[in-house]
Amino acid sequence: MKAPISWLREYVDIDVDIETLCRKMVDIGFEIEEVDYLGSKINNIVVGQITEISQHPNADRLRCCKVNIGSEIIPIVTNDQHIAVGDKVPVALHDAHTANGLHIKKGKMRGEESHGMFCGGEELGVTADMYPNADMDGVLVLQSTATVGEDIRREVGLDDYVLDFNITSNRQDCNSIYGLAREVAVALGKKCRPLDVSYTVSSDTNTSQLVDVDVQNTELCNGYLMQGVTDVAIAKSPLWMTSRLAKVGLHGINNLVDITNYVLWEVGQPMHAFDYRDITDKKIVVRSANKGEKITVLDGKQYQLDTTDLVIADNNRAVGLAGVMGGLNSGIKDSTTTVLFESARFSRENIRRTSRRLGLRSDSSARFEKGVDGYSPEVGLDRALNLICQLQCGKVTVGRISKTVENNWNNNITFEKSRIKQLLGISVEDEKVKSILESLGIKCEIKGETISCIAPRWREYDLRLDCDIIEEIIRVHGYDNIFGTLMNDTAITIGGKPQHVKAIDKAKGILVGMRYNECIFYPFAGSALYNKSVKNYDTSKNIALINPIAEDLAFMNRELYHNMLQCISLNHSRKNYKLRLFESGKVYLTDELPLQQLPIEENRICMASTYAENIYQFKQEVLQLLYSYVDDVKFVEGTSPWLHPGVSADVMCGNECVAVFGKVHPEVAKNFDFATDVYAAEIRIDALNAHADKTFRYQTFAKFPSIDRDFALVMKEEVHAQDIVDCFTKMPLCEDVKVFDVYRNAAQLGEGNKSIAVTVTFRDKNKTLEDKNIEKQLSSCLKELQEKYGATLR
Amino acid sequence: MQEKITALRADCTQEIEQCTTSLQLQEVKVKYMGKSGLITALLKGMKDVAPEDRPKVGSMVNQLRNELESVLEKKTAEIAEMELQHKLKSEKVDISLKSLDEPLGTLHPVTLITQQIQEMLIPLGFKVLEGPEIETDYYSFQALNIPKDHPARDMQDTFYITDSILLRPHTSPMQARFMENNQPPIKIVCPGKVFRSDSDASHSPVFHQIEGLVVDKHLTLCDLKGTLEYIAQNLFTKDTKVRFRPSYFPFTEPSVEVDLSCSNCGGKGCSLCKGTGWIEVLGAGMVNPFVLENCGIDSKQYTGYAFGIGIERIAMIKYGIPDIRLFYENDARFLRQFKK
Repeated sequence: MKAPISWLREYVDIDVDIETLCRKMVDIGFEIEEVDYLGSKINNIVVGQITEISQHPNADRLRCCKVNIGSEIIPIVTNDQHIAVGDKVPVALHDAHTANGLHIKKGKMRGEESHGMFCGGEELGVTADMYPNADMDGVLVLQSTATVGEDIRREVGLDDYVLDFNITSNRQDCNSIYGLAREVAVALGKKCRPLDVSYTVSSDTNTSQLVDVDVQNTELCNGYLMQGVTDVAIAKSPLWMTSRLAKVGLHGINNLVDITNYVLWEVGQPMHAFDYRDITDKKIVVRSANKGEKITVLDGKQYQLDTTDLVIADNNRAVGLAGVMGGLNSGIKDSTTTVLFESARFSRENIRRTSRRLGLRSDSSARFEKGVDGYSPEVGLDRALNLICQLQCGKVTVGRISKTVENNWNNNITFEKSRIKQLLGISVEDEKVKSILESLGIKCEIKGETISCIAPRWREYDLRLDCDIIEEIIRVHGYDNIFGTLMNDTAITIGGKPQHVKAIDKAKGILVGMRYNECIFYPFAGSALYNKSVKNYDTSKNIALINPIAEDLAFMNRELYHNMLQCISLNHSRKNYKLRLFESGKVYLTDELPLQQLPIEENRICMASTYAENIYQFKQEVLQLLYSYVDDVKFVEGTSPWLHPGVSADVMCGNECVAVFGKVHPEVAKNFDFATDVYAAEIRIDALNAHADKTFRYQTFAKFPSIDRDFALVMKEEVHAQDIVDCFTKMPLCEDVKVFDVYRNAAQLGEGNKSIAVTVTFRDKNKTLEDKNIEKQLSSCLKELQEKYGATLR
Repeated sequence: MQEKITALRADCTQEIEQCTTSLQLQEVKVKYMGKSGLITALLKGMKDVAPEDRPKVGSMVNQLRNELESVLEKKTAEIAEMELQHKLKSEKVDISLKSLDEPLGTLHPVTLITQQIQEMLIPLGFKVLEGPEIETDYYSFQALNIPKDHPARDMQDTFYITDSILLRPHTSPMQARFMENNQPPIKIVCPGKVFRSDSDASHSPVFHQIEGLVVDKHLTLCDLKGTLEYIAQNLFTKDTKVRFRPSYFPFTEPSVEVDLSCSNCGGKGCSLCKGTGWIEVLGAGMVNPFVLENCGIDSKQYTGYAFGIGIERIAMIKYGIPDIRLFYENDARFLRQFKK
């Protein structure tokens, strides 16, 4: 909300500097986005008066002037042909800057001294809305009242600040100059002057003779006022009005339109003016739009409406889209002689919906969306009529049509004094409470322990409960009066983390111990990325965003590895080749799309390394993590499309796959431009944690000595070493089996064969073993190895 | 015999002296003092000595053995020491080079700050909870006193999945979720990802918050300030100050923006705090009675406070990180810096 200091000053005396004002406003809850000094673009430009003009001796199109700038008379050469002796003009002196970016320096023009430059509106950054004739080409001739030598900013209205307030959404009343002036008064401890809303009824016509109003949808329109102005003389608005509008970014159009804008800005009430000639059958109907009904509004565009939209119509057609924009068919024209002023209150929710759906926003809709209180239409219309009278541009009709639904806001808020201490932790003296509330326009009575308040009409949207009043007290009293205490009077509670968070924290600790660096990625991505890691990736199972910020951030991830591979690619492109990275994040899984209920958010860990020299080194790291949760897992040949089919594994806990890992598929590596081999794993930490054995018990270990036996077995290449190991492990006395060599030699072993060498350790818990104790089980084991896996002793 | 002993003593002493390794010494020991060594042989020769001389000769041999053993022992110690020194010298390495590999893994700065705040609050009795990132409109807004089409919805641009399911724009939904199922005393802290549909140098569409909620009897705005002071002073320095400014959130009343005295300049004013001495870090307030009642908690009896801290914001201030996008780019040279 932009507010020029000069406009605020109309209602409150501001006797502090701008910094102090800003600080005090921030202290009571009005954050300031920007402080704009209107004259900041120009400097060193003063009012000068031309005392002498002569033809330049060396140039036909130049004239040499002598200019009185108050302190001295300086020579200026100009090409302007219109100015005359006695004119007061803006003079940019040596080292001046102009609004259009010129830097003026003393110098000679064709041999004649020139100590500055005359300025036009463009050089000053002012338009005709702010200063008469400022939009004409050439040098701006100032009003004869201008003071010679004075800073030009003061003369043309640029010596002013515009504060841009960030208004919180509960303070809809402060989206207006007058609302802000009330708060400035509170901040500075001043009184706010009342708004001038007086007007004279001078027309002979009765408003009811002009029009009949029928509000059909009172739910979406709970206040509709109308009053007419006859004998309208459409003209330009006076400068004081257009210059204020210009400072908040609006152009002057004509007196009637400017009055509606002025009221919107000053009072916060959106107004609309209809040309009376365009209202057929003297009838205004506020009704829901018909399905498919079309309207062309003032911006010239046609919109198709729905039954949820509200229109202002006459007997034949819609003449306005309620609260958003007036119809092109009934707008103010230069020939307008009678207008109908509409000052209404529309449901903020509905205006918001309509405006968003149509993509049509206006100052009016923006204001209605924030909320207009129940009394604002009255004040707004009064002020508009007051301005009609001030500008003498028409005659106000007799009587006002008012279709208002009783406001059910209970503005009487009563509470116990102790509530202040209960909420704030400090007490505030009665006198202080009273003076604060009254400065805010809240009527307040303190009787014994009870505080009774009557909130002012403009605070309808945010003063409802005792805590709302208490907030008013403390924001003005000052939050510096709140001192910190550390919950001395609360009950004891037991803090801590849930199991799954502990499990993830543990994994992070282990990974950091293995020298991995943690990454965090966006949990959404797009097809382009998915297709890099999985050919023709099927996004139909992904949860999609309706309004993603980009196509490549449109789907919630079902796997973590996509982002990880992308990240390695990025790091490789920056020559960070050696990487050990992990992410602990969520994937979002559902069987039903579109979503009917919340999906499963599964915690996963993705790890990737370019340090590992082979799959076994990487597997060892994955194992280190897995075995921190479970005692045993099984590795089966990998099925992940993004991993090398021969150098990857699915890790099983029972029948559940808890992790996949391996070397990234060469095709995928190519897609991501990896500079080295990349090993990666995706671990389902929640599933892994669910398998974790939390009831661990100590096991005694045997004291009797063990026997080691080595075997070399020849078998087909396809046989899995783990199957051989499992076969040995099944023997009752077998304690451990270790593979210590794998040997391939076609000449010795035959094509397609390999030899696996193992050390098998036997031990009996109860006695010292002898060879004969193991012979029997060993021979049946070797027999099984041969029968089942074709493995023979070498 | 006498001569034999004398000669043996001289020979053995000399041989011991000539030894330079423990192996040689061992050979000498075997040669003279072993089972079939020369001294043993000497004793065997006793039978050739006249019986009356045997005691004398016997004691001479024993004396010889004792003498030689002590010489040997001394030499053994000498050689052991020499060999040790040699071993130590020969094994010496150049230890000056730093590790060729990365010496440490690291946690992401977002994790570091989240964990630090959690670790501070757990001893105060806060339970850590995580809520769903894909949330309902109800818990994200309606339960927090933000009805549909309410202007407060403009405070955050929300990503939608369906009309009623969205990516949570703040961690506050957990307030309502938890209060619905639990009566006071409540002390919870909820960290996690949040989502807003805007993106530039200071805004990321994904960022992290940590939400705190306490509901109990006798809980006041002073307690909120005290808790935030405790957090700020532990995160930054002991003299960090907390300032409240009035603000508005539909689910708290009163609502405050919270500034910390600038950790960079100590409040004097610098470029980080844009000369103000204060840095805005979070929003907080006393839980709105509407929210309490809506979750089945008696707002006459109980009061609550809530705060939501932006983790990246804290990390940017604490570690001097200039751009929020660095957090999500994951350049290894960024990640490796956060060694605690």
